[in-house]
Amino acid sequence: MAQILLIEPDRVLAEIYGRSLVAAGNRVLSCFTAQAGIQAADKQQPDLVILELQLVEHSGIEFLYEFRSYPEWQATPVVIHTTVPPNEFSDNWQILRVELGVETYLYKPQTSLKQLIDTAQAQLSVPESVPSSVVA
Amino acid sequence: MSQQADRQSPILSQELLLSVAEELKLPLLQIARKAEQQELTGESDLSTIRATADSALRLLDNYVLGVRLALEPEPLAVESVSVSSILYDAGQELSAMAKNYGVELELSIAGRYAPVLAHRQGLQAALVSLGAALIEALPAQGSPQLKLQLATHRSRYGIVAGLYAETKQLSNEALQKGRQLRRQSRQPLMNLSHTSGAGVFVADTILNAMNLHLTASRHHRLYGIGTVLQPNHQLHLV
Repeated sequence: MAQILLIEPDRVLAEIYGRSLVAAGNRVLSCFTAQAGIQAADKQQPDLVILELQLVEHSGIEFLYEFRSYPEWQATPVVIHTTVPPNEFSDNWQILRVELGVETYLYKPQTSLKQLIDTAQAQLSVPESVPSSVVA
Repeated sequence: MSQQADRQSPILSQELLLSVAEELKLPLLQIARKAEQQELTGESDLSTIRATADSALRLLDNYVLGVRLALEPEPLAVESVSVSSILYDAGQELSAMAKNYGVELELSIAGRYAPVLAHRQGLQAALVSLGAALIEALPAQGSPQLKLQLATHRSRYGIVAGLYAETKQLSNEALQKGRQLRRQSRQPLMNLSHTSGAGVFVADTILNAMNLHLTASRHHRLYGIGTVLQPNHQLHLV
């Protein structure tokens, strides 16, 4: 059973996403902030991170810099699942892809639960040493 | 005339409308995903969806009210109102949303306060708008204590009505920074809320239209945002 770290600041959405990912056969650790996400990762060693960029205080980007600074998490797949739309996101995509090893971006308002679950399962099925495909 | 134009300019600005539009994505997203979840699982929880839709409608209503108040050519008709009663009614309006977010709402209106002069509907709309924004924001801060208090107290400036919680982020500094960043950032209240913070800015705008101001204050050991109202001494003497 895979361990997913879900960093979603909205409590209502976190519950919906969390329950759906659990129903798909995963264990889910849900956090509202970047800081809590790092602490949770330290305890649970996630197989996948699903991350919103717009968080209170420390952003999702800050989380990623911190997360990737630890050798054991450098190959952990990260799915960006955010309300930041593609046109505002494009400038940062190269940084996220090249510097922070993010392969997948999903625009939250246009991503169904099924798409999120399918993306998560696809990421979890890819061996860590092989780069996964870019969805965004 | 120029004073009227000053009152109108912020409310008519594209940035507030943009902020409201961005904010509305959240309840719509919640409804869409909740409906999809229910399709997948066969479960039915219409009360959550209804509460979410109501909160979206309330934000729109409050925005429209703010625009209408700002466009009033005449000074607003104020009446003598009880702050405690307005806070109670605001709490009632917010209760379903608070339940959705797991936030406990408390009412702290102990003590006798003179009635204040205010535009009743506007004051209540501002408090509800602010409250909705804070209900969304509290869990996003990772606060262990998800409690929000609707409270009133006397200060040397008048009677304060506001919303209070155990978070230092409810400060004048955060408000001022948020007002400045609203033009450039999609998350102007970055240490307080993960959204556009439209509820706070709609409250700000409604209060400005009533010649009142959104300001930070303390209530016992809690931090909060609210407004200062002037007691109606005339009625008090009667």
